[in-house]
Amino acid sequence: MINILSYTCIILGLVFWYWGTWPLLGRRSVLYKLHGLSVADTLGSMAIVVGLLLRIPHEWPLLVLALISLSIWNTVLGYVLAYCVTDDGTHDVGQEVGHGG
Amino acid sequence: MTGYLNIILRLTIWFLLTADLSWANIVIGVGVTILLPRGVTNVGLLKDWLRTLGEVAVAIPQAYKEAFEIMLYPHREETVVLERVKPRRTPSLIFLDIFLITFTPKTIVQRYHSRGWYEVHYIQRRETP
Amino acid sequence: MTLVLIAMIGALLIPMVEALQDEDIWQRMLAFASISTKTSVIILVIAVLQDDWMIGVVGVLILSVGNAALMLLAQIIKRVNDVMDG
Repeated sequence: MINILSYTCIILGLVFWYWGTWPLLGRRSVLYKLHGLSVADTLGSMAIVVGLLLRIPHEWPLLVLALISLSIWNTVLGYVLAYCVTDDGTHDVGQEVGHGG
Repeated sequence: MTGYLNIILRLTIWFLLTADLSWANIVIGVGVTILLPRGVTNVGLLKDWLRTLGEVAVAIPQAYKEAFEIMLYPHREETVVLERVKPRRTPSLIFLDIFLITFTPKTIVQRYHSRGWYEVHYIQRRETP
Repeated sequence: MTLVLIAMIGALLIPMVEALQDEDIWQRMLAFASISTKTSVIILVIAVLQDDWMIGVVGVLILSVGNAALMLLAQIIKRVNDVMDG
């Protein structure tokens, strides 16, 4: 039972990996690819690590640390890359600037 | 009074890395946490903190939901939207806000203007009317 | 489990190809970020597969030190670009 659940998590993570990494080869803007990578590298890897956690529950402290650092580092790296890619004021994509809130 | 986030983060990393709840280890962990130098000592309201940490817990299933949405329906449009920062946010709360927005796959914070605006990059299914 | 590992290495090839073929520095940085996360998760999977948790500790350490170097590199590249532009 646990095995099936763990394989489901790992395979879900693998599907996320392939789906989110595939757009890297295309010709979209960096930011669009960044959205795909946030699916693949953050959510996909988290699913895989949860799958591993189900297999070896006695190593939970280190795997939970892995989960936390995965989510924080990948998210912060996404923000930093997005910040560095865009210049002040000018964007190569998405000219519409609305006022949401 | 110190930054809650700092202390929580340090203690969590310490206990998860050592995986040892003996008294000696707890004393060492708390001692190192307090002794390590820290930067800003500006603390927001505890209520804001609790609400934001609750939002973090909600954000994880929501992130998976959005991931399935953009997998099932192609989102091809990209837009940039300015959003206002909630009032009386301290730097670490703003960090958590940016973390929350960027963590969900459909939105990424591009830039934080110091006058209280985020630039958020969205992907959508079609052009907004 | 071995099949899972093979599939993961296959996924690792995609950003590698991208890093080789694209000239734009930011697309390359994106590919490198992807490679670094994927390798450390693969290390964790190998640790479980081999039943050798020492490897797993290395993987967790790599994950928690994380992409700090890539973030610094991104900031440096941005500064250099700004200086070069004038």
